[in-house]
Amino acid sequence: MRTQNATAYRFLTPYLLIFAIFWVWPIISSFLISFQATRTVPWRFAPTFNWGRLIGDPAFYNALKNTLLILVIQVPVMISLAIVMAVLLNSPLLKARGLYRFAFFAPVVVGEVAYSAVFRLMFSLDFGIINKLLNSVGLPKVDWFSNVTPAMALIMIAVTWRWAGYNAIIILAGLQSIPDDVYEAATLDRVSRVKQFFHITLPLLKPVIVFCAVLSIIGTMQLFTEPFLITERGGPGGGTETLGLLLYRQGFRSLNFGYASAVAYTMAGLAIAITLVQLWLTREPK
Amino acid sequence: MAAVTLTNVVKRFGGFEVVHGANIDIADGEFVVFVGPSGCGKSTLLRMVAGLEDISGGKIAIGGKLVNDVEPADRGIAMVFQSYALYPHMTVEQNLSFGLRMNGNPKADTERRVKRAAEILRIDELMQRRPRQLSGGQRQRVAIGRAIVREPQVFLFDEPLSNLDAELRVQMRVEISRLHKELGVTMIYVTHDQTEAMTLADRIVVLKAGNVEQIGAPLDLYDDPANRFVAGFIGSPKMNFLSAKVVEISNSAAIVELVNHGGARLRKPLCEASPAVGAEVVLGVRPEHFFEAGEGDCDIPVKADVAEHLGSVSYVYANAGPEELIVEREASRQRASGDHFAVSIKAERALLFDKTGARIR
Repeated sequence: MRTQNATAYRFLTPYLLIFAIFWVWPIISSFLISFQATRTVPWRFAPTFNWGRLIGDPAFYNALKNTLLILVIQVPVMISLAIVMAVLLNSPLLKARGLYRFAFFAPVVVGEVAYSAVFRLMFSLDFGIINKLLNSVGLPKVDWFSNVTPAMALIMIAVTWRWAGYNAIIILAGLQSIPDDVYEAATLDRVSRVKQFFHITLPLLKPVIVFCAVLSIIGTMQLFTEPFLITERGGPGGGTETLGLLLYRQGFRSLNFGYASAVAYTMAGLAIAITLVQLWLTREPK
Repeated sequence: MAAVTLTNVVKRFGGFEVVHGANIDIADGEFVVFVGPSGCGKSTLLRMVAGLEDISGGKIAIGGKLVNDVEPADRGIAMVFQSYALYPHMTVEQNLSFGLRMNGNPKADTERRVKRAAEILRIDELMQRRPRQLSGGQRQRVAIGRAIVREPQVFLFDEPLSNLDAELRVQMRVEISRLHKELGVTMIYVTHDQTEAMTLADRIVVLKAGNVEQIGAPLDLYDDPANRFVAGFIGSPKMNFLSAKVVEISNSAAIVELVNHGGARLRKPLCEASPAVGAEVVLGVRPEHFFEAGEGDCDIPVKADVAEHLGSVSYVYANAGPEELIVEREASRQRASGDHFAVSIKAERALLFDKTGARIR
């Protein structure tokens, strides 16, 4: 048995080496960097330098507030929308189901820069179709890029557009795993379609919904593309700056790698903490 | 309790007809089993009675009331599904009471019904468990319990024992039979297992390719099948069929020659039909209706291929010319593979079928 294991490890060695050098070491190294003052040459060990700054930094709290705001509004809205889309996709009355599935999934495969450019055009103050539509129903134009609230709304709309279909497809797989005869039994029990949805479908979808929520939380904690490309680096005036953007700004604009690492570990810690709380809240009864 | 009447019931899926005008009368309190091979339409027929499938033609009445367009929940039926169809996220108690709770049934009455069902099925101790924590037999009991709490006029069972192991199947069979006696309600039971049909039914409906082949009491079907299909389907091991030819008709009897057995002849008395001389026919003999050589009216030599000794009974799978026979005899205990011996057929124990499979009486 021991010889067999040794042979297996010899075969695994090339992969394990690459994994250790390019995966494990950067994780450890970046954690160590967060304890160094990196704006001096040479870098010096200063355990409280970055972490102390983080605790008192208004820019960090602004980015944290924005990220959490997007998280608590956008994720529930997107998951709810994904459930509705999945139920519609699962309807036997729907024609051309394959086409709809493709259409819902398509935003994920569209290039991030292309979709951001299209969103900037669509929401443009003077030329955008959204403002034209608002005008046509008698509503005033909205300056989506110059005011904080509309800009945040725009980020949430964009992220929802991009990921709702993806989550809907995952939830659809969950829906299709619920056996038909459970619904038939409920029909014989005179349970209405609406009650079936709330008392059978939703509880049985819980593991899939939790999975989607965890993925979305992790994704939102790392949110970068939309505030970087659509609202131009977290504008207006940092109003849509997220933790991901703050990390980028500190690490790759100011070359303050120590502080960027501290932000990165805070993001990871928060994502883990929120996910654990959610898993605990939605745990299966014994 | 209620009678169930199916009149010319037809089911089509698109342009494909799967049930071709079924006529079945089920009396109040009767236990009727629909039996047939896969794809014969038995489950479809049951689902039409339940209202889970639309009826393409004909009429279904429950308790004298036409139910073609009545919602499933308003038909006074309860159904037990093959896969149990329990709500996986609910406890046994919640599973039993779910339908009643959702319909605003008074709490005290719901509790009474659930308690009664639990007592009948002896599942009182499982009430706080979830389906995944139950064995197959326990799940089946809960599924039956869910049907009992509805206090239906008619119970429908769709192959309820097919997911259980052999021992549990026998046990649950007895329980369902006991339940029928205890509740006294009409029960319609679908199975492909003829043993279940024979042991449970007051009457059996044999189906083949969407047609009702025969309806009757289990032993009537066994002793007096209407055609070759019913004769072959009812009885285990199945009936042997020997190719034969009518060589003479005399005094209300047909003399048939077993074409694969060296010209062996049997005189089969007939009371109704009179086949033409030279007609190709089939002689049906059940495995237990072979006798020792010389005891019957016609002996045929066979060679034992495989012998199965089950203790109380022995089966010999034998080759007789190009035909394979199954012989069930106490005397077969001594037989072994490769043995040459002769079996005898008594005319009164043999059945005659024409080329199309219809019975010649």
